[in-house]
Amino acid sequence: MTIFQAVLIALFVYLASIGSVVGNTIGWYDLGRPLVAAFIVGLIMGNVPLAITLGLLLQLANLGSVTPGGALSWDLSYATYIGVAGALAFDNGDVTASIALMWVFSTIGGAIGVAMWNLTYGFDLICNRFATKGAENANPKLIAFANAGLGNIIGFICRFIPALIILITTAVAGSRSGVNVAELIPAWLITVLGTFGGMMAALGMGILLSFLMKKAWHFCLFLLGFILVVYFSLNTMAVAVLATIAAVIYYTAITGKDGKRTGREA
Amino acid sequence: MAKKISESTLKKSWLIWFFWHGCSQQGENLLGNAIAHTMSPVIEELYVNENTRKINAYKRSLTLFNTEQQLGAIAPGILCGMEEAVANKEIEPEVSNAVKVAIIGPTSAIGDSLWVATIIPLLITICMSITNMGGVFNYVGPLLYMIGYPILTAILSWSMWKLGYKSGIEGVQKFMASGTLDKITSAMTVLGLIVVGALTASYVNVTVPVTITPPGGETAAIDLDKLINSIFPKILPLLLTLGIYRLYAKKKWSPLLVMGLILVLALALTGLGYLTGAYAPAA
Repeated sequence: MTIFQAVLIALFVYLASIGSVVGNTIGWYDLGRPLVAAFIVGLIMGNVPLAITLGLLLQLANLGSVTPGGALSWDLSYATYIGVAGALAFDNGDVTASIALMWVFSTIGGAIGVAMWNLTYGFDLICNRFATKGAENANPKLIAFANAGLGNIIGFICRFIPALIILITTAVAGSRSGVNVAELIPAWLITVLGTFGGMMAALGMGILLSFLMKKAWHFCLFLLGFILVVYFSLNTMAVAVLATIAAVIYYTAITGKDGKRTGREA
Repeated sequence: MAKKISESTLKKSWLIWFFWHGCSQQGENLLGNAIAHTMSPVIEELYVNENTRKINAYKRSLTLFNTEQQLGAIAPGILCGMEEAVANKEIEPEVSNAVKVAIIGPTSAIGDSLWVATIIPLLITICMSITNMGGVFNYVGPLLYMIGYPILTAILSWSMWKLGYKSGIEGVQKFMASGTLDKITSAMTVLGLIVVGALTASYVNVTVPVTITPPGGETAAIDLDKLINSIFPKILPLLLTLGIYRLYAKKKWSPLLVMGLILVLALALTGLGYLTGAYAPAA
């Protein structure tokens, strides 16, 4: 990995974090989703297929990642960008080794990300003093500076710099010195992390289920989707289409409206 | 003549919200600074040459506020309408303060339970399925979400904003009380649950790497994993997912703790595999 690639990736770590300058719709909920983040890392590092393979694993494990009220338990932006970039930097053609490395890098990245988020949350209190002054003097420019200006400078410092340091001390240093971390991981650990990754998707599903399963009969719907794949061998796209049909029928039934007749009257 | 917020000011205010709602989020007033920033074009337009009232409006804007930041845009929309009513002396400022606190909960709920917890995972699932087709679709899937999601959300966020501004708190309450939103949410839940079931079957991977070889010889060896799957295919992924759901939803385990448990399980299964000779011994 070159310094330039590290700078670009660290920049995206910042853009994809909560409350960056592009807003959460373009940042956290878009650039920060592992599917998109892995793709961007793949473009920067010049290996989209491998990046996507890794990104899909992270995406499945974090499909239920939402942040109600800003209570962050896992920094997805740090975890994905650092995880995929770290694994790609030490790619030696062995996908299982890359997957193992990805979990190691993303766990470290995610943990540092949470610490940085807490730091931002504390430092942002400085903004309030400027905002209060702006309100007392009816000065919209000062309020704008307090929110979008100072708030973003703090966010940038707390996210860009640590991400860059992580990448330079590991991935950039690795490709300079020629030491490949992927070759240092013992075979048994690669097996453990591969098994771990296969099970991590269950975490994403479990968290999603906790939002969706509100009534006892809902379990049947979950089981229906499961059965459609294991016994009927449908792919997820086909199940999604069937599920949409089921949802439309259900909506029609509970609203009691079956709409306009479109056929000819008998 | 009654004061009215112009369409362009309303849009300017929404744009500030759309991009900078979360920049100075902190524990004291949460999104308070962002709301003051968002309201500033509106306040500047409504209180021309009324300095004391303008200062009071700014101070009112800079209090604790929170909502989901995308479809929750209905909340700042309502606040714009309220500020207009205050400027026209139709309502007392105290009323607007009370409403501001009252709308935090319900507007967050729209965004969090419907949009963030249901729609986003569904959109990502669809794009993941496209990505999985491989080849050029490795590019199509991520790009579809990357470009489609912000456009879709921006359109909906702006319509929610206008809805909040035009129909005000009464209109929004009437809409919420009609139950339409609840019905849409439960229909989306049906969709979501079936898809999560399919994802569990397709992507959760748990295998027991144990082969039992009876003293008779290699030909009679039993692959434990095959045996389990012939009784009920993929039962282990199903049980693992339901177990994690139980730990997370009912026992209130944190995701980090669950990750720890998964790591321990992975170590145990791998250990089992080496012990029973399913994996080649470490070199």
